Amino acid sequence: MPKVYVTGLGFITSIGNDRAEVTRSLREMRHGMVVYPPFQRPDLPVKVAAPVRGFSVESTDPEDWTFPAGYRIKREVLRGLGPNSLYAYCAMIQAIADAKLSEQEISNQQTGLYAASAGSPGLLYRLLTQMHAQGVMRCPPLGIVAAIAGTVQFNLVAHFKIKGASTGFSSACASSSHAMGFAYDEISLGRQSRMFVVGAEDGNYETIAPFAGMRALSLSTDPDKASRPFDIARDGFVGTGGGVVLVLESEDEVARRGVTPYCEVAGWGQASDGHNVAISHPEGDGLRRAMELALKCSKQEAADIDYVNAHATSTPIGDVSEVKALRAVLGPRAAQTAVSSTKALTGHGLSLAGAMESAFCALAIKDGFMPGSAHITRVDPECEGIHILRTTSDVQPHVVLNNSSGFGGANVCVVLRRA
Amino acid sequence: MEDLVANRGPAPTKEEAAPKPFTPEDEVALREALKRCSPATVEAAVTYRRIRDTAQLPTIVIGVIERYVESELRPKLREGDDELRLVEDLGVDSLTMMEIVMLVEETIQVQTNNDELRGLRTVGDVKTFIDCKVKGLPIPKPAKFIPLEQIASVMPVQPPFLFVSEAQVGAHSAQGKYKLTGQEFFLQGHFKNNPILPASIMLEALGQLAVLFLIEGSLGEEGKAVDSSKIFFTSCEGVRCHRMCRPGDVLTLFVKPKRVKSPFATFEGSIRVGQEKAAVVEEMTLAFAYAEAVAQPAAVADAPASVAPVLKSSSETAAPPLAAAVRA
Repeated sequence: MPKVYVTGLGFITSIGNDRAEVTRSLREMRHGMVVYPPFQRPDLPVKVAAPVRGFSVESTDPEDWTFPAGYRIKREVLRGLGPNSLYAYCAMIQAIADAKLSEQEISNQQTGLYAASAGSPGLLYRLLTQMHAQGVMRCPPLGIVAAIAGTVQFNLVAHFKIKGASTGFSSACASSSHAMGFAYDEISLGRQSRMFVVGAEDGNYETIAPFAGMRALSLSTDPDKASRPFDIARDGFVGTGGGVVLVLESEDEVARRGVTPYCEVAGWGQASDGHNVAISHPEGDGLRRAMELALKCSKQEAADIDYVNAHATSTPIGDVSEVKALRAVLGPRAAQTAVSSTKALTGHGLSLAGAMESAFCALAIKDGFMPGSAHITRVDPECEGIHILRTTSDVQPHVVLNNSSGFGGANVCVVLRRA
Repeated sequence: MEDLVANRGPAPTKEEAAPKPFTPEDEVALREALKRCSPATVEAAVTYRRIRDTAQLPTIVIGVIERYVESELRPKLREGDDELRLVEDLGVDSLTMMEIVMLVEETIQVQTNNDELRGLRTVGDVKTFIDCKVKGLPIPKPAKFIPLEQIASVMPVQPPFLFVSEAQVGAHSAQGKYKLTGQEFFLQGHFKNNPILPASIMLEALGQLAVLFLIEGSLGEEGKAVDSSKIFFTSCEGVRCHRMCRPGDVLTLFVKPKRVKSPFATFEGSIRVGQEKAAVVEEMTLAFAYAEAVAQPAAVADAPASVAPVLKSSSETAAPPLAAAVRA
């Protein structure tokens, strides 16, 4: 089976809109949270979010949107995009440049694209409101393309002329890790030689606020500590959006093109809790099995793991479940293996999270650091025995796990390894 | 452009043209809807909505098309060429076409259905379409495409002296193509070692397209077909050649009738190669005669689509009152 490598990255995130800025934020543990203007309303107890900077996408009309200089997007492309696809489009341009891909290398039968996004609920709401108010024939022709859950791959596949495999994944917060895992499969099974993996979310009022109704969001009004996975006082996650793209390539392509990869995608595993639609298994059962399968797939032992980028979103129940799963997998190595949650910096990107954090892990392996788990005042005693990395380490990790868990008890673990 | 709004039957009567009043709120909404259009477009739309001045329609239609066309292609539109093709020349795809029509509908308060949009190929088609909509007139049939075999079968001239290899014949104009291969017999001597299409052949090509229009198009005289053996060149005025045509060039021929009244039909015509003007003819007149045998209405139905039912259908289908086309 051909090996699979990460050869390009693109970032539109709350902690930076390019690789350099993201790396600096991770190393220096700079977070992306703000007191978020759309949340400052009396009916919403949540005040903090981690929005993407440099974009203005509030208008119902995409032609009003603004985005950083350097991205030129034609009107005929823009009209089919939601904010998520716009972020993904910009990240895609970065990833293509980063991987040094030519047009032919992007558009051929051996190159595919897997994406993850929950769609654009804000756009869908406005579209349906307009439909009810003004009639079906007065709706923007591409409203549905921009709004529904597959919007990110619809747009990117068409505009970048992708000819290989393409689809989207919809397992909530595990979605883009599923995209990553199945993209790995496409290449290691020899079906494709290159895959784009995309995670993207709007990260606005309509995507984040509904989680307040679940009581899953932090009520903290202080952007500097609202998101604090593993802390005793954590009280929920902080929402974010953006778009991240990873380029995965087979070892043959890497050799043929003579590029230096960030790292190898060594394998992956997935397992489900079979427990509750929204609450993680109290013992982290599915996540434990996902990690075990991922290690088996990548032919690594638990003792080989240097760093775990945890799913830990800063919710009271979820973080503890993951700690229990980690304890079970790592066993006696638990005290040595560094664990952190970069969601303390970025917030929780839902469908974006898995791809974003896999990309962070690729940066960590390439640049030789392990990002610390920020904003911890006192570690939750439930995390005893786990080595929560509280400041950034300059040690280069060789084997890294990236965990993701989604609604329905879906769990995915991706293993990345130094190339 | 004024001719677009002329000669299309009677103007709507008073009780048909009873639009609801144009309120200040309507004006705010209209200006908001047109905020990306040129100021001239916005003012034309406001004027139209205030006093239903149909002379504003071409400005509105062009302004809305311009708003949806990539900025580098907009100068083409300003040249005012009604033959500009939406897809090939302006990069308008079917979804953009829908956006254009929706904004025009909203601006001038008419409604269309999908079937009506399919035949719109050129800027002129869109103008004519909107004009007919506003006036409650039937929409002209889209130009019909006529391939070489059919041209050769109906035309009195034949290869190697046929200079129209495909054509689109509409209700009010015809467009054709002719590719100069380099193998044409007259190029051997015109000129020595320097093959250039003779200007006389350019005129011949336009004349042939005009003949095709007379045979295949609609002259508006119900129940009469033109006798293809009785069409002859009469006169030509205002001929200017702008560009030499050489082997490999694809000539786009265009003719439009200015006056058709038996026994004469006068056309204006032009030839382009790509976007470059090759020749212009201000007036070319052909003499023609109607065929005797097809004067019976019954025979019309048998004629192979040679009489487009533009005016015929207007008598069959009562023109819908404008009020019906205006959204309540």
